[in-house]
Amino acid sequence: MLKFIVRRVAWTIPVILLVILMTFVMMRQIKGNPFQVTERPVPESIQRNLERAYHLDQPWYVQYAYYIKGVALFDLGPSLVQRNQDVNDIIRQSFPVSLQLGGFAMIFALLFGIPLGILAALKQNSILDYASMAVVNAGYALPNFLVSTLLIYFFALKLRDHTGFPTNGWGGWQSWILPSIALGHAPMTYFARIVRGSMLETLQQDYIRTARAKGLRWRRVVGLHVLRNSLIPTVTAAAPTLGYLIAGSFIVETVFGIPGIGRYFVTSISGRDYSVTMGITVLLAVIIIVANMVVDILYGYLDPRTRDERV
Amino acid sequence: MAADPRDEFEATLDRTAEGREREAGAALQRASLRRDAFYRFIKNRGAVFAAVAFVVLLGYVIVAPWVSPADPYAIDFSKAYLSPSWDHPFGTDEFGRDLFVRTALGGRLSIAIGFAGTIAIMIIGILYGAIAGFAGGWIDNGSMRFLDALYGLPYLPFAIIVLAIFGTVSFWAMVVALTVASWFTTARVMRGQIISLKENDYVRAARALGARWHRILFRHLLPNTLGVIIIFVFLELPGVVLGEAFLSFIGLGVNPPKASWGTLAQDGYTSYQAHPYIIIIPSLAIAWLILSAFFVADGLRDALDPRTKET
Repeated sequence: MLKFIVRRVAWTIPVILLVILMTFVMMRQIKGNPFQVTERPVPESIQRNLERAYHLDQPWYVQYAYYIKGVALFDLGPSLVQRNQDVNDIIRQSFPVSLQLGGFAMIFALLFGIPLGILAALKQNSILDYASMAVVNAGYALPNFLVSTLLIYFFALKLRDHTGFPTNGWGGWQSWILPSIALGHAPMTYFARIVRGSMLETLQQDYIRTARAKGLRWRRVVGLHVLRNSLIPTVTAAAPTLGYLIAGSFIVETVFGIPGIGRYFVTSISGRDYSVTMGITVLLAVIIIVANMVVDILYGYLDPRTRDERV
Repeated sequence: MAADPRDEFEATLDRTAEGREREAGAALQRASLRRDAFYRFIKNRGAVFAAVAFVVLLGYVIVAPWVSPADPYAIDFSKAYLSPSWDHPFGTDEFGRDLFVRTALGGRLSIAIGFAGTIAIMIIGILYGAIAGFAGGWIDNGSMRFLDALYGLPYLPFAIIVLAIFGTVSFWAMVVALTVASWFTTARVMRGQIISLKENDYVRAARALGARWHRILFRHLLPNTLGVIIIFVFLELPGVVLGEAFLSFIGLGVNPPKASWGTLAQDGYTSYQAHPYIIIIPSLAIAWLILSAFFVADGLRDALDPRTKET
């Protein structure tokens, strides 16, 4: 097991380097000049000094090496547009907000998705199953921006007097509920689907039949054998869920006016603030890579059969 | 002419009575397999319903702009923000343009981007996956490790950066951005398919008869993955359409007066408080597409490979 963990952790380093390299190469292809965004032209000598200050006059591999060094020291460099701010500052301000939002959305998804999947599987082909799967399918298909807008429309505008939910912003529990639901509904349906499928598969296993045949009470069979074995595959759902959360946070933060990382990313792209765009992309990539690593290790621990395949 | 004796041998085999018989048998078997799959699909009421829904949506998108008398681009402020009625089934927007036609036109663009992206994803994914799976060894290993690294890139930021490289948003920029960010899964699945098919006896037989690698790959392996490819078309299409909608919604969509479902939804978002139907209609169109494509894919999977039928 230890060997497996060490190999899996060591493997993330070249992956992170490669991902940074790819982002870096792509960022260099974007046209436009971050120092020429205003109407007033910047004199050439100042332009050259600025380029030197940000190492933009060096060949790309030197720039890449500088950048890797920065990432290793947790310093993502200064913002190219907002002169008095570092990328670190921007991330420090906006990332906790996004992290909170993502965390709440995840809690919502787990809290509703897993029970929904369990119920649907235990009562397969009943009204309950069909109803919950209808909810899941509808939730899966409705785009994030519609769910966000409708939540605001009904709960923050029409029912304002009863709920007291604000239409935008991020501060206080009342402003947390709607965005968390809006962001969490897609992963929720995903969890419900995975849990249902995996439960139905587990229910057909021989050891379940054995447990029932030896006279174990059904409730105990479910609690002891079915749930335990069928919740393991949900661990692998973490990776796509993270993808949902990141993509969804761009929308949800825009609609709810939440000062998170997604909104900064969109403004940084249009403002040609390369270092912010890079910094956020690298941060998100590292999060995804580390999350995948944790999932693999966790899965290798829970289901030892997968250890060899995954490295 | 220095023809490869193995090719010649294979050619003579095709000409012999035995070869002809084998060919005929193969054709017969192929036809009946397909007919079987077709009957299984027809019997699956949910899948047929989804297929009909999919065709209806395509029909609306194609036909509505031809038959409707309304001009999708004519601005008439006296008709601004009309609620849905007989004259304007989906109402009108802030410029008094008929949304029934505009939603259909938006659908044309969204679905065209969807299909173009899906085809590109299929081509890249199939080639990459098939080559990796077929070659095996270090080529397979290397390309899979590279794919692992790509999985670390966050989907939406990745697509946004590619879009930024193009500078202006156009049809093809959108297609390229969404393709580049989402071909990995197809490649991975195709590799798995090829690897499992490679071990079949008929491949070994072909190899023993001296068939060369390209013949094995294109004659024996790829045709057998056709089912999976068709399923994946229906799985990737909604993904690309949704990706386009997400990008458009955060302001990176095609320029007005052109419209896609995403830009229509964005228009609706700016006036959702007074006129919520404007955002609801294009969003429901997206949901319609996602759900029908999903259930068609589900039905196809059951029909083409009864063994993997989900309980």
